[in-house]
Amino acid sequence: MMHKTWLVMRNEILTNVTRRSWLLLTFGLPLILALVFFARPLLTGSAPVSSSVSDGSSSGSELDIEGYVDHSGLIRTITEDLEGKLVAYADEVSASSALEAGQIAAYYVIPADYVQSGHFTYVYPDFTGFEPQGQSWVMRWTLLVNLLDGDTKLASQVWNPMDLKVTALAAEPQREVGTGWEYWVPYATGMILYMMIIMSSSLLRNSMGNERKNQVMEVLMLSVTPRQMLTGKLFGLAAVGLLQTLVWAGTGYAMLSLGGQSVNLPAGFELPLSLVVWSLVYFVLGYTVYASLLGGLGALTGPNQMGSSTADFVIIWPLIIPIFFMTLLIDNPNGTLAVVLSMFPLTAPVAMMTRLAGGGVPLWQPVLGAVWMAGAALLAMRAVARVFRTQMLLSGQTFSVKRYFTVLLGRV
Amino acid sequence: MHPVEVSHIAKSFGSTRAVVDVSFAVERGEIFGMLGPNGAGKTTTLRVILDLFKPDRGTVSVLGGPMTEQKKERIGYMPEERGLYPDLSLERCLVYLGTLKGLGAGEARQRVGGYLAQFDLAEHRKKKVKELSKGMQQKAQIINTILHDPELIIIDEPFASLDPVNMQMVKDLLRDLRSRGKTIIMSTHQMHQVEELCDRILLIDEGRNVLYGNLDEIRRQYSGHAVLVRAAGELPVVPGVEQVSLHNNAVKWTLAQGTTPQDVLQALMAQNVILEKFEIALPTVEEIFIRAVEEGEA
Repeated sequence: MMHKTWLVMRNEILTNVTRRSWLLLTFGLPLILALVFFARPLLTGSAPVSSSVSDGSSSGSELDIEGYVDHSGLIRTITEDLEGKLVAYADEVSASSALEAGQIAAYYVIPADYVQSGHFTYVYPDFTGFEPQGQSWVMRWTLLVNLLDGDTKLASQVWNPMDLKVTALAAEPQREVGTGWEYWVPYATGMILYMMIIMSSSLLRNSMGNERKNQVMEVLMLSVTPRQMLTGKLFGLAAVGLLQTLVWAGTGYAMLSLGGQSVNLPAGFELPLSLVVWSLVYFVLGYTVYASLLGGLGALTGPNQMGSSTADFVIIWPLIIPIFFMTLLIDNPNGTLAVVLSMFPLTAPVAMMTRLAGGGVPLWQPVLGAVWMAGAALLAMRAVARVFRTQMLLSGQTFSVKRYFTVLLGRV
Repeated sequence: MHPVEVSHIAKSFGSTRAVVDVSFAVERGEIFGMLGPNGAGKTTTLRVILDLFKPDRGTVSVLGGPMTEQKKERIGYMPEERGLYPDLSLERCLVYLGTLKGLGAGEARQRVGGYLAQFDLAEHRKKKVKELSKGMQQKAQIINTILHDPELIIIDEPFASLDPVNMQMVKDLLRDLRSRGKTIIMSTHQMHQVEELCDRILLIDEGRNVLYGNLDEIRRQYSGHAVLVRAAGELPVVPGVEQVSLHNNAVKWTLAQGTTPQDVLQALMAQNVILEKFEIALPTVEEIFIRAVEEGEA
């Protein structure tokens, strides 16, 4: 029993990881990103853009030298840490010339009515075409200090009005919900899990679809049991999916390290081991449920067959629901909707991981959610194995979403 | 104990009755032909035997009882819808499928090597399956069917896509397997192929048994409606002859209803014809099938 499951699993792994398209996607994509990442500075003549999250207390040693043209006459004091980093220019023409000559990375224009309007201009050569990624906080900080007559202590308090010290009662670090990393870490965790489940499940759907297209199904059904085939393929393709994720994560990390960059999350942040473990648990369970359902669909319709997209959507839909409520899940992780979504097996993977990444979830909830999901995974596997025992696979009867679910529910 | 016993099975798909009432038993070590036109219910019957379809009615016994997972390893099946893994090399594909049938990897590799040489495919073993010709793929299918040395071999339309040379090779292989005691069920709509190979046959039409039994006995049973005659001189006109045609070096006389070969022979003797050959012509399976269906409809 186990031997044949292993044979199917090994074949899936070998077949997929030696496929040109898989190799290209797994290694080619990071390679292209790396080329873009490292080639851009060569083209633009500047260092790679830092991904660091800066604040007013950062050291000025990492900063680019910038210029400013102060028509308001407000700036009289430059704080010590910014000395040499801000160069005054009499007019915009000379500042612009300095920028073109590469003497400064950017310049600011403070209008005469700044105190009334609060607006200033930041001239920054942004090569990305996306959000400006300069260091405009430097000027905001300088203006603040000067508005407060050079009182840097007071300016610091205005800049960061609350020096919050959090004492966690639970073993896991508790995080405050906001719009910074406290928001993006749970968001990213949920989205990454969503993408991993969808990508790996799609591999199984295609694998099953190809068995149908290649007309191997009938021979296989005389060689292995539906459960052996499904389990072997499930585990094999999960390994392929995880391997791909590891390669991407590894090359991403290597890219940042080689480029002298780092993902500069706040000093208080640490990725709890429990989050990694729960991610694995919910990935495996979520993947088992969705891959089984999509695999059964692939076996009946073949790969990418027209008309089967409705069924794909019907199956994937529950996994998408938590994404619509992502902000709600992060803002109110212990609200009724968040708890319900993270307990319902089809929405649980994304919902629960989003909440867990935010912190403050009682331990019994992920445990109970995982138990529910394990039950759902077993039921899904059993239901899909039924597809292989019914005549639906070989009789040439027309596929319909309704018929598929009828078979899954054991009513055929 | 018969390797396969089928008793009054029926199978419908919605309103379509694929098999209405089919019964037969297959003897050990014989080539059993399951014949019938396209859509007669042959493939559905085979799938019921293999437990791929559950019958609506009737019973099936395979290798001494109901089908089990263990028994599946003792069966070689080549379905009508043939397929292999197109992106795998021929050798790897056959070794993988062989291991799924219970062979160890080393043994599977060894057997695959032997069969590839026997089937003139050795030089193509590293090629992807999709790079092989249709005939080569068909031979690979046959290797896959017999690789694990099954005691029951079921082949649906074995001669499809084969050129005359490979067709002869497959016929020789099937005879060889029979001589080694294997039981073979062969389903085909090419009735002339059956005459050369099969010991016993089942004729199916519209999901029902039409004829069933030993092929020679059936042919004898349906003979007597034609004679092959060759004379030293010109053949005279004989009453009761409905149709005249050439057959090898003789003339084939198809006899009218009520006329027997003895009547014809007596008429020839009465006219002092010097006969070089007088033989009762055995009907072809196709002729038998047409007559059996016509008789059934009447």
